[in-house]
Amino acid sequence: MSINLEKLWQLTQPEPFEPNLNQKRAILHTDSPLFLTAGPGSGKTRVLLWRSLNLIVFHDVKPEEIFLSTFTEKAAFQLKEGLRSLLGLVTNLTGKPYDISKMYVGTVHSLCQKLLTDRRFLELGQRSPVPVLKDELGQYFYLSRRKYWQTILEKADFDLDIAQATINQFFNYNSISKHNAVSNCISLFNRFSEECLTPEQILARIQTTPVDDPDTFTNLTKLYDEYLRSLQQSNPPQADFSLIQQYALNFLEQSPHSGNIFKHIIIDEYQDTNTIQERIFFKLASGFKNICVVGDDDQALYRFRGATVENFVQFPSRCQEYLNCSATEIPLNINYRSRHQIVEFYNDFITRQNWRSADGKGFYRLVNKDITAFNDDRTTSVIASTPAKPDLVCEEIALLVRDLINSGKVTDPNQIAFLYPSLKSKQVERMIDALEDVGLKVYAPRARRFLEVEEAMAVFGVYLLIFGKPVRGDFRGADYNDFHQWLNNCQEIAQNLIKEDKALKAFIEEKQEEINTALNDYRILSEVAIAHKWDKTQFYDPHTMKRLLYSARGLSNTAQKNLGNVYFDRLVKQKLETKQPLTLSYVINASTSVDWSVLDLFYRLCIFNHFKEMFDQAETGQDEGPICNMGLISQYLARFTDEYTNIITAQFLEDNRFQLTLFMGFLYSLFRRGETEYEDADDPFPRGRIPFLTVHQSKGLEFPVVILGNPRKDPKLQRVEEIVKPVLDRQGEPLERMAEFDVMRMFYVAVSRAKNLLVIAHFKGPGQKLTFPFNEMLNDRTIARIPDFDPHSLPEAKESNDDLPKNYSYTSDYLLYQRCPRQYMIFRKYGFVASRSQTMFFGSVVHKTIEDLHYLLKAKKGTQNLD
Amino acid sequence: MTNIDDLAIEERIKELFEQNYEMMRLEGGHALSADTKQSALNQVLFYWRKLREVAENVTDTEVILSLPEQITPEGRKYTIEGVVDIIREQDQTTMYDIKTHDSDYVRGNVPEYEKQLNVYAHIWQGLRQQELDQTAIIATSLPVTLREAVRKDDQRYITKEIQRWQPLIDIPFNQEKVAETISEFGEVVDAIESRQFQPPSLEKLKGKLAGKKITFAVQVCRNCDARFSCSAYRRYVKSSSSQADSLLSRFLNDYGSDAEREDFLYANLENIPDIESFDI
Repeated sequence: MSINLEKLWQLTQPEPFEPNLNQKRAILHTDSPLFLTAGPGSGKTRVLLWRSLNLIVFHDVKPEEIFLSTFTEKAAFQLKEGLRSLLGLVTNLTGKPYDISKMYVGTVHSLCQKLLTDRRFLELGQRSPVPVLKDELGQYFYLSRRKYWQTILEKADFDLDIAQATINQFFNYNSISKHNAVSNCISLFNRFSEECLTPEQILARIQTTPVDDPDTFTNLTKLYDEYLRSLQQSNPPQADFSLIQQYALNFLEQSPHSGNIFKHIIIDEYQDTNTIQERIFFKLASGFKNICVVGDDDQALYRFRGATVENFVQFPSRCQEYLNCSATEIPLNINYRSRHQIVEFYNDFITRQNWRSADGKGFYRLVNKDITAFNDDRTTSVIASTPAKPDLVCEEIALLVRDLINSGKVTDPNQIAFLYPSLKSKQVERMIDALEDVGLKVYAPRARRFLEVEEAMAVFGVYLLIFGKPVRGDFRGADYNDFHQWLNNCQEIAQNLIKEDKALKAFIEEKQEEINTALNDYRILSEVAIAHKWDKTQFYDPHTMKRLLYSARGLSNTAQKNLGNVYFDRLVKQKLETKQPLTLSYVINASTSVDWSVLDLFYRLCIFNHFKEMFDQAETGQDEGPICNMGLISQYLARFTDEYTNIITAQFLEDNRFQLTLFMGFLYSLFRRGETEYEDADDPFPRGRIPFLTVHQSKGLEFPVVILGNPRKDPKLQRVEEIVKPVLDRQGEPLERMAEFDVMRMFYVAVSRAKNLLVIAHFKGPGQKLTFPFNEMLNDRTIARIPDFDPHSLPEAKESNDDLPKNYSYTSDYLLYQRCPRQYMIFRKYGFVASRSQTMFFGSVVHKTIEDLHYLLKAKKGTQNLD
Repeated sequence: MTNIDDLAIEERIKELFEQNYEMMRLEGGHALSADTKQSALNQVLFYWRKLREVAENVTDTEVILSLPEQITPEGRKYTIEGVVDIIREQDQTTMYDIKTHDSDYVRGNVPEYEKQLNVYAHIWQGLRQQELDQTAIIATSLPVTLREAVRKDDQRYITKEIQRWQPLIDIPFNQEKVAETISEFGEVVDAIESRQFQPPSLEKLKGKLAGKKITFAVQVCRNCDARFSCSAYRRYVKSSSSQADSLLSRFLNDYGSDAEREDFLYANLENIPDIESFDI
């Protein structure tokens, strides 16, 4: 059966697709650079889907010849599944199958990692070193490890006594805190990496350009250099999120094939890409020159991650620069999402700012976008609260929300979203209270710290009882005080638990006893070593040492058993035979460590009813909230064992070192970084609850009703912008305008999420202020107020149905579930990290090496054939 | 190829293995004990020694198979995925699934593997529109006798045991049951999506695993960290308890045998970083 695009559009479910003129042009454009400026709700995802389908089905492009980058993994998954489904439709008509499993669809970071192992870029048989990826938390712990931190500070010529104060001062913070200094360095280092600046280049610029405090800047650059060097020199090499892109770019620059692997490069949300990403994309596109970018400069949100909106605004001239050809610009400017007044409102909003460039010759944004609403319903869809004090405003909004839910104009409370510049604010707390006062439930996972959820406090409370609570020092910092308050609260919760559960109490006492025994044994054995003038670093000689250690006065049965058992003897012998004898220190540590790791302890805690009930509830699908949090706790504990150690030796327990490492090192860091609650990527908006989101979280989403809970954000320039500006090649927006531009864009994103109704809180009174241009727009007489608004005038929201088909693996889903559904739930569904099980790792390393062997043999064969 | 080449390949395998091991250890966080790590490496080395013909002729390695647009009995859409290796020769195409299982176990449980490989075969044939002639499992776990020979480091004994080892198991190529398996698969997807996660029955825990002499409780539960909060395992411990110990103490002292403890210590003690460098 012969098919064409028009026919497929008619067959699309649930209703035929009728692209507008520009959407159609974009879908049919298959050759040369394409510049898609896509306003809010203009159907760009659909255009990307159909454009990819057009390439694969009608232009013989193989799926693995397409590189499609999205902003989130979720967007990637949606695109991939959407495409799979449309291609399935084609297969049903023509019988021709399509396999998109090798297509590149994902975030830039995940695609960079994929590139690094893609053998198409390599000469036959080559293998590139793939760095181990450190996530943000890993990067933080890596840098803040005391010994490491001090070493690189010294190498970078900082004066250790004042280094932290100097660094913080450079970032305009008056602080001596290491946490602040490390966090500041991370923001700067990441920016250097994203801007593709090498330490040499930066140092050269500092010499030739006027900068603030050149000495500190120079030392920070050296510090960056040391950081890069240590990551590269570790075995295997490591990389943070920004550097993985650097690796990918270097890899591409070394490969002769880079420009000829992908026939099409497609980048979504292009306004939020950074310099290094731009270079990667143009490198990949250098052969076929088919690069298609989609974005909206008015929705640029990620300057703080190094994104430069100029990548998008100046895309046509960049195509000239990199590819020596011009780009076709197609605007997608019909909004299918929002009612008429909403579109008018945000058009008005964004154009109130003066975007003209300093020289008066152009603009910092793409002007004349002319976004029009497809929906012609001109009844009221933007309203504001009565101008009043915050408490009154919140109350008025809460009642409106209740009326909206009762009127049936939304099908579920999760269709009403509250958006805020930040969720950690007083206004958010007030609003949540007001909603709860009228009997509504909210869902605000980012409004509080993960460590403050009940499950985390109960688990760590028990750990406090076992290992003891760190003594509070004289520091006055707010974080420090809050953290000690948190420790107290945890302890109190655990104390209540042991009042209820005698067995738990006995368990805790037993663990304390084991710790004391280990400590005591350690002292005894160390004394034996001293008495016989043995150095702990010397080799363990069972003939002369074993008896003396074993029979030391007061040594516990446990330590005796550890020293004397046959397995230990065997190990000692084996090591001797292989000429790697154990040291005395190893033997003492091994015989005086407790039998369990922090993860073992966690799983054993789950014996007790308070914790076991959480599992029981999840097994029958009653409530999965607690088990999600327990899964996350296991991940953090595993992180602790990664960063420090799995084995708790007496040496480590001594002088409360373990206690301090766990609580004041590890957990305090998590606390200060404000690590947030578990969020289910598959189900981000649980039914029955009203979601609270940051504007950043709402990127790419839409809701029938949006409430802008706090139309205020004071423009504040990030210090890192001032620091890097003088050393950059390209000069984008001027420093003095950046912050206000960013605030405009952030609110533009917020207000353009609304489909049927946009509600704005209008605070008035002492200390209350609205950000420009809300102050002008809300004080305008024409804006409707909540008391005048009739909820019945609203159209009914449709049930959102974006249930995507999920992938299930034969072995790791189907077979695993059949073996034990509960084990499947815990380790696969809720992501618990196992403490002892090694089978997964074992299988993966065998399979991966066999795969490498097959490639090696194939390459060998290839060269032989050539001979 | 000469013997020198063979040795070079074995050296390369060791290098690749070490790189993969280090990378995965850093990413996954868990170390293998020295013995376990060696036995993983041995699986690759002996796969190469024994099934060189296969290894040299693999045309497609780690092929991702996916079967989209499946519908569960309750109407959910889903996709089935799997990974295989393929050898295409002039007149015949064979699909291999490499498993780190024991070959005797695989022989004792052919129907289980038959289901899986025939679903994979169905996907392959549909996807590539290429006929498939044969399916087989490669079970890379070394037999006990070969392990013993390796431990003794006796070349003649090793050579003899390699010859006796039969890691390649033909799996009947039979497309009749595919629809049935896929329908069972769909039922499992429904169960997962509707959050049915109760543990198996006490009978299943007490029962022996097909082709093995040990029970489900010993093989699966004893290796599962979640057993402590598991109602089924709790019933099992209670029912099999002959001692006067309380249930709790039997649980709490369950840290494995001395050998396991030594393994745990040994795998991790080597990775104990300098305590002085910890941040406090």
